[in-house]
Amino acid sequence: MAVDPDRVRKDLEAIVGPRRVSLRSVDLDTYARDMWPRLLFARRAGAPYEPRPHAVVWPEHVREVVAIVRAARALGVPVIPYGGGSGVCGGTVPIFGGITVDLKRMATLRAVRGDELIADVDAGLSGERFERELARRGFTFGHFPSSIYCSTVGGWLATRAAGQLSTKYGKVEDRVAGLTLVTGAGDVIDTDGPSRVLGGPNWTQLIVGSEGTLGLITSARLRLSPAPQLKVYRGFEVDNVAAGVEAIRRVLQRGLRPAVVRLYDELDTFLNSFGKGHRDDDAVERGHAWAPAPLPGEGALPVLPGEPDRQEPDDGPLARLLALGRRGSRGLRKDAFSALLSRPRIVNSLVGTVAEKVARKGCKLIIGLEGARIRTEIEAALVFAELERAGARDLGEEPGKAWLAHRYAVSYRMSPVFRDGAFVDTMEVASSWEQLLDLYHSVRDAIGRHAVVMAHFSHAYPEGCSIYFTFAAHADDRGGDERLYDAIWRDGLEAATRVGGTISHHHGVGLLKSPYMHGEHREAMAILASLKRALDPDDIMNPGKLGLVASREGR
Amino acid sequence: MTPTLTLAEELHRAVGADHVRPEPGQPDAWRVEPGAPAEVAEVVRAASRHRAAVVPVGSGSRPPRVRALGDRPRVHVATTRLDQVIHLDETSLLCHVQAGITGLGLEKVLSPRGLSLGDYPPSILGSTIGGLVAVRTPGKSSARHGFFEDAVVGLSAVLADGRTIHTRLAPRRATGPDLARALCGSEGTLGFITTLVLRIHRRAEARFLAAYVLPSIDGAVAATYLALREEAAPAGLRILDAAEARHWFGAGVVRDDEAVVVAATAGPTDLAACDRDLIASAVRAEGGRAADVELAELWWKRRLSAEPWPGPPPMFQVTATPSKLRGAYHAVCGAVRSAGAFPRAHISRFDADGAVVFVTFVDAKGAPLTGGAAEKLKDVAEAAARAAGGWLLGARSRELDPYLHKLRAILDPDGIMNPGALVG
Repeated sequence: MAVDPDRVRKDLEAIVGPRRVSLRSVDLDTYARDMWPRLLFARRAGAPYEPRPHAVVWPEHVREVVAIVRAARALGVPVIPYGGGSGVCGGTVPIFGGITVDLKRMATLRAVRGDELIADVDAGLSGERFERELARRGFTFGHFPSSIYCSTVGGWLATRAAGQLSTKYGKVEDRVAGLTLVTGAGDVIDTDGPSRVLGGPNWTQLIVGSEGTLGLITSARLRLSPAPQLKVYRGFEVDNVAAGVEAIRRVLQRGLRPAVVRLYDELDTFLNSFGKGHRDDDAVERGHAWAPAPLPGEGALPVLPGEPDRQEPDDGPLARLLALGRRGSRGLRKDAFSALLSRPRIVNSLVGTVAEKVARKGCKLIIGLEGARIRTEIEAALVFAELERAGARDLGEEPGKAWLAHRYAVSYRMSPVFRDGAFVDTMEVASSWEQLLDLYHSVRDAIGRHAVVMAHFSHAYPEGCSIYFTFAAHADDRGGDERLYDAIWRDGLEAATRVGGTISHHHGVGLLKSPYMHGEHREAMAILASLKRALDPDDIMNPGKLGLVASREGR
Repeated sequence: MTPTLTLAEELHRAVGADHVRPEPGQPDAWRVEPGAPAEVAEVVRAASRHRAAVVPVGSGSRPPRVRALGDRPRVHVATTRLDQVIHLDETSLLCHVQAGITGLGLEKVLSPRGLSLGDYPPSILGSTIGGLVAVRTPGKSSARHGFFEDAVVGLSAVLADGRTIHTRLAPRRATGPDLARALCGSEGTLGFITTLVLRIHRRAEARFLAAYVLPSIDGAVAATYLALREEAAPAGLRILDAAEARHWFGAGVVRDDEAVVVAATAGPTDLAACDRDLIASAVRAEGGRAADVELAELWWKRRLSAEPWPGPPPMFQVTATPSKLRGAYHAVCGAVRSAGAFPRAHISRFDADGAVVFVTFVDAKGAPLTGGAAEKLKDVAEAAARAAGGWLLGARSRELDPYLHKLRAILDPDGIMNPGALVG
């Protein structure tokens, strides 16, 4: 359907005035993408940003959001909600164009009700500001994704995000008491109230995770915890992945709730120790905006930006390995390195064997607890004792503190890996404990056919755990990147589905996993499709996502 | 296409003649007892062909809600025979059950293996698991294990067109909304739950009981939240006002205006002891003192039905968030007193949403009021509770009804799935 940009501009300006609408090319380019690595292939090739939204608008009030949705409905153009743009699956890519609604100007922390342990917060508030405001008042939301500096509360809710301390505090869906949604019909609904009192289905849980396909989340009532009085972090070593998984399972099933549990597989452990101490000189020279480590006594979040000489850049051990490859004199030559990445099976088995030999110690496990002083002290002692009973060896506090110091150290620029023609991405799957090792081996083998792959286990629950794979690959032929990239995801996700795992633990679906939604939910997709029709009758909300068939595809 | 078989014939064919019987005194109504999830699907398909209403009746302990059904034929589907444990995964602590097994029935399977559904109020576990999940009411929760519906990790259900859906099992996922939640709380209107995967727990290594006397109800509530803020996660906790405490434990147990707190903590020994001590210090901070542990032991036995309850069951309940709990208690009790009666109350079911105040109306001699007198007091109590910001049992949010109706119209265009539920 043809969209008249002038008409879109006129209608939007009538709602928010001329200053909060943009049809400028630079804005449309910016909002054409999120942080989905696949979009970087086109960037690297110098291709134009496509598809782009027809317009970007910055509402400041729910009534403006309502008017925007109604206007879009009248015009028959899609609406794409936008928060921090930190998604890694292309969830905000406007595949049919339309109006991208950036909610970051709706960013008020409306109330902190300490006696109820509830915060009433606008969707556009940045994670960092939210957590700082809470810390000042003696509370925490407990949600610390590594994207906390560049993601919003609404984005977390829309994607069912998880923070690094989810094992104690839960994922974002475990922490939401209610929310306000502007539906695709332009109605405002509130899902509040002590929900269990009210009968009927839990609408909050039917909206959380809908990735903008049902409406725009404009605010939420979120559950708080008192700020932790004590934090205890430690490292352990286990013989192998299976032993580590068993140790974590025992801890969780005893009813103990560490805040964070991370078990690195052999290759991940090896690379973690491998590149440490080397600085990525390229990155420092280019003045990358790295999130610095928290300073002692700074609370949960470090101040951003820190002083450059205190910053320790790090975008993960695999990137560190690749960075070594790029340093001609000290490491592998670039072309030799690319050649290695092109033979992932050899590298996987080779590095795996070397890793096992070099890191004869086995796998590293980081565990942390935080919370009220007395209970946390006792729980920590129980957790550490349980780990040792399961055969884990105590490495002391240092590894735990090192992880804590680097946990927000992500780069906001295109990774050097991409500039060199390779690519890196992550895949986070999950299953019950019974299937977990099967899931690990199946997905690892599936990805390993195409890419160098390593994994860590994090986000543990009494009934299961998630696995976070990091992979790097390099296509031999020009233009083969996308094919290779898609093959990795296809094989990895299909392997996950085959062994009974879920295709996403916390990154969401977006465009990336949309084709695999039917395999994930099968007949239950009927429920999702019905929800869509009930809340967004004209299919204007983020169409073509979540595995839902977009009605405009046939237009 | 007109069906060639009658509804009764189709039902016989679906579940076998032994498991279909006409409901006495109700023309065009049958009670069927499917023996497998696939038979539920057959029953729903048969009902769909005849535009008959499918009314879930669980184990049949309560009469089905049949209002607003008019003359249409009805199929009351009992899950009595769907009481099997399908799979017990002791590695993941997950249990796949059919919807008709009761909580207590499941505990009988779990208990010999050192497992348990968790520290939920035993009084709710007489219901079928399907019923517990399909109907959302307050109090199905535990401070230690959270809300009962959160224990549902996956489920299977039959939709109005006879299709069976299975939500996949995962500890957590980020693949769209939680589709199982459409079935939880929807009282059989969006689908008929046939099986569920539940999170279960290992039996607690240690359990401690303790009883305390606090100077007032307010002090007792304050002490409770003080302990909860320190992350104590009791397996059970109950606050009894003076009248209720005397009724439960004898006249000498408290002075006027005092309150009793009984608490159970459970888990690894050190942690259970820690939680017990956290509650004890919170009580001391609010000016309370330890009471005879026998009070707590008696409460715990009654809770497990090992000792008879000092009946009758509470006549009125109101749920309130933490900040409104005291206000709701005082408002209701004050209103009942003003109406010339005597309330006694306890507060329990503490969870992230708040807690529930249970009230019994008695006369000056302590005899429970019944009939018209009790009904009148209920109205008085309801008005007071509502004014104090409390939530009444059976209250519903009408605001979201239009969306539920739309969902129903899409999934069930002929309106056969429990049409009398969640309306009006």
